[in-house]
Amino acid sequence: MSERRKHLEFLRKTARDAAWAGDYERALLLFEDGLGLARSWKDRDLEDLFTCNRTMALIEMDREDFDLSRLKEIILRNPSGYNAVLASYVSATAHEARGEYARARFYAQSALTKGRELGLEELSGTSLNLLANLELHESRFEAARSLFQEALERLDSEGESLSRQAAVAADNLGYCHIALDQIEIGLPLVHRSFSVLDRLGARQAMDYPSLDLCFANVKLEKFDEAENWGVRALGLGKEFGRDDVVKNSHYLLAETYSEMGRESMADEHYEALASYYPNFPALKNYLRQISLMEVINLRA
Amino acid sequence: MPTPLSTRKVHLVGSRIRELRKGRRLTQTELSEKIGVAQSDLSRMEQGEYKVGLDTLFKILQVFDLKMGEFFGETAEPDAAAARDLVSDFEALSTEAQREVREFVRFKKMQQEQDAAAPEADAPFTPAIPAEPEETP
Repeated sequence: MSERRKHLEFLRKTARDAAWAGDYERALLLFEDGLGLARSWKDRDLEDLFTCNRTMALIEMDREDFDLSRLKEIILRNPSGYNAVLASYVSATAHEARGEYARARFYAQSALTKGRELGLEELSGTSLNLLANLELHESRFEAARSLFQEALERLDSEGESLSRQAAVAADNLGYCHIALDQIEIGLPLVHRSFSVLDRLGARQAMDYPSLDLCFANVKLEKFDEAENWGVRALGLGKEFGRDDVVKNSHYLLAETYSEMGRESMADEHYEALASYYPNFPALKNYLRQISLMEVINLRA
Repeated sequence: MPTPLSTRKVHLVGSRIRELRKGRRLTQTELSEKIGVAQSDLSRMEQGEYKVGLDTLFKILQVFDLKMGEFFGETAEPDAAAARDLVSDFEALSTEAQREVREFVRFKKMQQEQDAAAPEADAPFTPAIPAEPEETP
């Protein structure tokens, strides 16, 4: 590996660590530095790599100021290369973020097929994880569970300890089991995921495991535990600006306090949730009397 | 000791969504368009196979624009939910307050019975005198 490539690889690793920790601004700056260097060195391969990474950071930041056609160019330029697989994966993620699930599925499947051909275990695993998430969006829990299981097996095989990507897949798999009322199988998976993400400093990825642990404990009627995890999920959701996590946390906490008989606390969370729906003034009154636990999908 | 809210809660399930939709004379296609899901997904939802996010669930509640009693499946008795609330409120009262409420209810029942027994016309209104309440065991 050339010195230049070593330098950029270090930059890329540092940026990825920053992104996992939730410092997207720093990650973006580092990816943009790398992109600038690759361009100045006229290294097309590295330029494509950093274009993909930069786009991924922007997607994580809920920003739209990227050009999807650049990713398509990368796919077409060298369809059997690593960058093409990565570009397919990033395209799938971008379409998923826009709610364009059919397109997302097309690119994720393409990334998976090429990733398998090239023996790229991590990209194959993350593509499987994405395909599974797309199944979850449409409430196909059994199909999602099989895909998450396969994703976890591939990502687990990458190292001795569970990687961050594998931890995310483990959490998702755990959530599927919990949603399918196989809580005794799901709960250890999510706990394991949370511990690994915590140990690896992947703070921004700890919101869903916290939410899932809250959900499982509400189902188990362990309301003290549910409260603990719900408060944690809510804090992380607010910290990283994830409205879906915040809304689900408010709902689960309200249900928890309601079951505990702590009505004023329950009301506080129902009100916070209702504030997201100003055109539905009766919402809070509905929520006081109707439980949505049987029909809710935290990943929809 | 406050009564947990959960004792008053009902679970929204797929079959209830189906009943409510039919009560509103909506087809699956019409409702699915209003809430922004595919008709096939709504069909799965009504069969309990499809779970959705809060945004969609709240759209469903909003489309139905329900009275609370309807969710309890008490469309024939629209006041049933209110009655349930009344029982919960009663249970939260002190023993002494509960005794007073029982006395008042007994008085009102007696008053109603006397009104019913009175001649229909020309009878001046006479307030009923309540009997001494019995001790609550």
